[in-house]
Amino acid sequence: MTDAPVLEMHEIRKTFPGVVALDGVDFQLRRGEVHILLGENGAGKSTLMKILSGAYQKSAGRVTLDGAEVEIKNPAHAQALGISTIYQEFNLVPHLSIGENIFLGREPRGWPGFIDRRAVNRQAAEVLGRLGLKLDPRRPVRGLRVAEQQMVEVAKALSLDARVLIMDEPTAALAEHEIKDLFAAIRGLKAKGVSVVYISHRMEELFEIGDRVTVLRDGRSVGTFDVAATNKFELIRLMVNRDLTELFPKERVERGEEVLRVENLTTRRGLDGVSFSLHQGEVLGIAGLLGAGRTELARAIFGLDKLERGTVRIKGRERRIGSPRAAINSGLGFLTEDRKAQGLVLPLSVKDNLCLPSVDKFTTLGLVDSKRERRAADRYVKELRIRTPGLDQKVVYLSGGNQQKVVLSKWLCSEAEVFIFDEPTRGVDVGAKAEIYQLMNRLAASGVAIVMISSELPEILGMSDRILVMRAGRIACEFSSEEATQEKILECALGE
Amino acid sequence: MKKGLVLLLLAALWLGACQRGAEPAGGGRQRIALVMKTANNPFFIEMQKGAEEAAKRLGVELVVQAAEREVDVEKQMQIVENLIQTRVAALCVTPSGSREIVPAIDKANRANIPVVIVDTRVDAKALSESGGKIATFIGSDNYEGGKVAGEFLAKHLNGKGKVAVLEGIPGHETGDSRLRGFRDALKATPGVEIVASQTANWERDQGFNVFQNILQSHPDVSAVFACSDLMALGAVEAIAAAKKTGQIAVVGFDALAEARDAVRQGSMVGTVAQSPDRMGALAVENAVKLLKGEQVNAEFVVPIKLITRENLGQ
Amino acid sequence: MRARGIELPSGFFSHYARQLGTLSGLLGLCVVLWALTPHFLTVSNLLNVADQAAIIAIVAVGMTFVIITGGIDLSVGSVLAFAGVVMASALHAGVPVPVALAVALGTGLFCGLVNGALITVGRLPPFIATLGMMSVARGTALMFTEGRPVSGFSGGFRSLATGELLGVPVSVVIMVGVYALAHVVLTRTKLGRYTYAIGGNEEAALLSGVNVKFYKASVYGLSGMLSGLAAVLLTARLNSAQPIAGMMYELDAIAATVIGGTSLLGGEGTVLGTFIGALIMAVLRNGLNLLGVPSFVQQVVIGSVIIAAVLIDMWLKRRSG
Repeated sequence: MTDAPVLEMHEIRKTFPGVVALDGVDFQLRRGEVHILLGENGAGKSTLMKILSGAYQKSAGRVTLDGAEVEIKNPAHAQALGISTIYQEFNLVPHLSIGENIFLGREPRGWPGFIDRRAVNRQAAEVLGRLGLKLDPRRPVRGLRVAEQQMVEVAKALSLDARVLIMDEPTAALAEHEIKDLFAAIRGLKAKGVSVVYISHRMEELFEIGDRVTVLRDGRSVGTFDVAATNKFELIRLMVNRDLTELFPKERVERGEEVLRVENLTTRRGLDGVSFSLHQGEVLGIAGLLGAGRTELARAIFGLDKLERGTVRIKGRERRIGSPRAAINSGLGFLTEDRKAQGLVLPLSVKDNLCLPSVDKFTTLGLVDSKRERRAADRYVKELRIRTPGLDQKVVYLSGGNQQKVVLSKWLCSEAEVFIFDEPTRGVDVGAKAEIYQLMNRLAASGVAIVMISSELPEILGMSDRILVMRAGRIACEFSSEEATQEKILECALGE
Repeated sequence: MKKGLVLLLLAALWLGACQRGAEPAGGGRQRIALVMKTANNPFFIEMQKGAEEAAKRLGVELVVQAAEREVDVEKQMQIVENLIQTRVAALCVTPSGSREIVPAIDKANRANIPVVIVDTRVDAKALSESGGKIATFIGSDNYEGGKVAGEFLAKHLNGKGKVAVLEGIPGHETGDSRLRGFRDALKATPGVEIVASQTANWERDQGFNVFQNILQSHPDVSAVFACSDLMALGAVEAIAAAKKTGQIAVVGFDALAEARDAVRQGSMVGTVAQSPDRMGALAVENAVKLLKGEQVNAEFVVPIKLITRENLGQ
Repeated sequence: MRARGIELPSGFFSHYARQLGTLSGLLGLCVVLWALTPHFLTVSNLLNVADQAAIIAIVAVGMTFVIITGGIDLSVGSVLAFAGVVMASALHAGVPVPVALAVALGTGLFCGLVNGALITVGRLPPFIATLGMMSVARGTALMFTEGRPVSGFSGGFRSLATGELLGVPVSVVIMVGVYALAHVVLTRTKLGRYTYAIGGNEEAALLSGVNVKFYKASVYGLSGMLSGLAAVLLTARLNSAQPIAGMMYELDAIAATVIGGTSLLGGEGTVLGTFIGALIMAVLRNGLNLLGVPSFVQQVVIGSVIIAAVLIDMWLKRRSG
């Protein structure tokens, strides 16, 4: 690693009509470093990177690459300059093979102008090899796991001779061991002199992979630090400009009576005889690798997948839950993993989303009483401090944390007594995370029972009263919060 | 945004208004409307020409309108309604539907606008039930035309052979009459047999497809009668595709320029001439007479003539 | 990007603004026509326009519901023809008028529910299912009538088209009634709320306890039923039910819906917008006839207006989004 800055951004300003998104940000990237960009949602991280990747044009300021000033006109121009970006949503074509995706648009040609498939595959294999990957370049991207797709994106960037690689929340959809592979690949890139800008909400990763960190707040740079010379709490304080005394403000609640008991749940999608029980006021953490059957468990309880065998009892009474409607009527609420794809109807308003599961409650003589709806919605917006200009704001315009709160309110409004959270804080910034944890505490205190599925072990350890670890569609281990450690959970999840 | 849309519409309408034809909006001249079934069929294009020439000659303004599709009775009704709103002096119509036109005639009657029916007869029963009145009918005798075609084919085949028929849209008076005439003519010659009779909906491409299908099931047909030249020309193409040009006698109806060429070249043996330009001219002439308060005949029959290679030059 | 600094327009306001846009387009069109021809702005012509708009407008209500769910119904024109000839045959068989009306609505409803079942239970894409129904209903109508129109009805039945209520044509009264009802259903009932939710995000709707299959099928049923109602008006108007009636009506209905600001992607739209869209189409056709514009040019103008309206709508959406 050398200290020569490969890229410098000076006094970058970016304004949108009515908003100052960036207000004079300085940013320096050294050759071969992993530079973490940290900040709450809306702090300006993505805007800054979009200027770098050519998606946005800066309003003012200078960008220099190897000491020469450049005007990055568009994403293709950025790529030509050696700046590649890997977005959260991948830009891969599912039916094409790995090799074809890597060389999309610049395929090696043979005679007489047809794509030279063999050269594509040979060169792709070479690039993949440089990343230490053993993927067959002829495989279609469609069948790849998320982590593998991401590696294909990295390989693509590498094949473009990228000098600067921007990664936006690359680990959001990865399981623990996949993150390890990704980090290995990033270290490999570093060694080759590639500089990486890494955007992430996860503090733990920062210390594992980062060299330096720049904190953004409200469109300004708060400072750049050597990772080794800082710590988690300081960074959080800088990000949110307030002290978070504890990241996981877990409050213990007296366990009430049993509300949910599932026995021997088995589905065609991979659940294999799962049994557990859940009490009022309890937070049950469910850990496990991707594909261990955690989401499948939630889907089965919520009536989305047909049960082949097994029973669900709610407050001691056996219920046939054949549809989400039946689940909701039995007092269940499901906060899905993918908020935008499953949790919210983005073009609808805050109010309409919030009241969607409980429309019946507000309907008299066939007409929906929108006054009563508004009153209810207003109450939750205030209680949960949802930041929105009004009840009629479309949820698509809310930030991730506020969207999550709308989903939560939806189930509060439907008077659910058992909440299933699937990855409750994915893509949510630290400030909003803490708020969501506090809400979970309040829910538990009010006697609600919570199932929390999460890939973030600190979250599982910090918030659960009891932890189940799933593996291959079964419950492999159960820990009390006192006895559980990261190592024990991982060991059990991996089956070692 | 409002400005944008308004400007756009203005531009669109201005463009439309500019296209209104050579004649300026007539000052004191009387306006006569000709509503055809469609404006994209050679038959009606010739009719329009005849009508326009007559209008020029007689010094009246002529508005020609047509629906996009020949069978769109509802659109035609709307056009008539809208023309009534502009208070045209007289209305000449080729009905898209023999019965469906009756409510439109009623509306014109109520507005005291005389109605001249051209080419396709109005269903007499429906008209009398509604109490509607038409001033005159101008057309050729489609039944007679079908009969002439049938007699010619029977002779051409020397009284023996298998014949296929391409019908128009069922329920159309013109097509139905031509068909009846053709069938009645063949009754006199038992050796000539109709082996297939299917609709090609007045369209050329369907004429091609339907006749191709008929050739599959009846490879031995020796003649085809199509209720319109467009369908006949489609059949000619199908015959050429099957490499049977000259082996199957094709008779059409309407005597379009293209069909005359086909007769000259021998890919068709005959077509029934109806003189649509004459119909258009007669329609305008009679409408003018009506507006002058003159009496007109209840019916004008434009004579039918079978065009064959022999009489083509005449 | 940070959104908290500004107050984005609320959903309600932007909806309202968009309808105002379409409405001002309609009014602008009227002003232009008023300037160009003395025949346009007369009571009789305006009633005439409303009367002409009624059939497509009613079909477009069903289309709006379907498109808001993110689907499409290509079968409306054929279902209209089929419902028309079935009802006409019933009338000829001596069935009383109210029963015949029920027959028309029922036939339409049936076809619509078949569409709905194909789409929900059969999991066919709406485009394919209704494309199939388009052909099946048309063919059945032709078979049923042997291709011939069924014509000639009693004055009582025809009064649905020829009659007037306080000087307003009955068809216009029915159209306005249908729109008022549809507006209430879409904005104030569970069906309406779920219609938007399904179109906005079917998965999220399902997870919020919406019986997606039932409501989707209902919406196609509604579309079919409204085609049946349109068949009643068309048959009364022409005093004839043709098996080839209603060809291309699906495209006119889609155009009216889209001009009215409903997104083909689903989740957004209003029946009031569609109403204005249907009126724009009818006023345009009327105006072009009044001006004596040749029919070929008319097609160019109508197509251009559809494209312009949607372009402007998308531009507005981008600006407010």
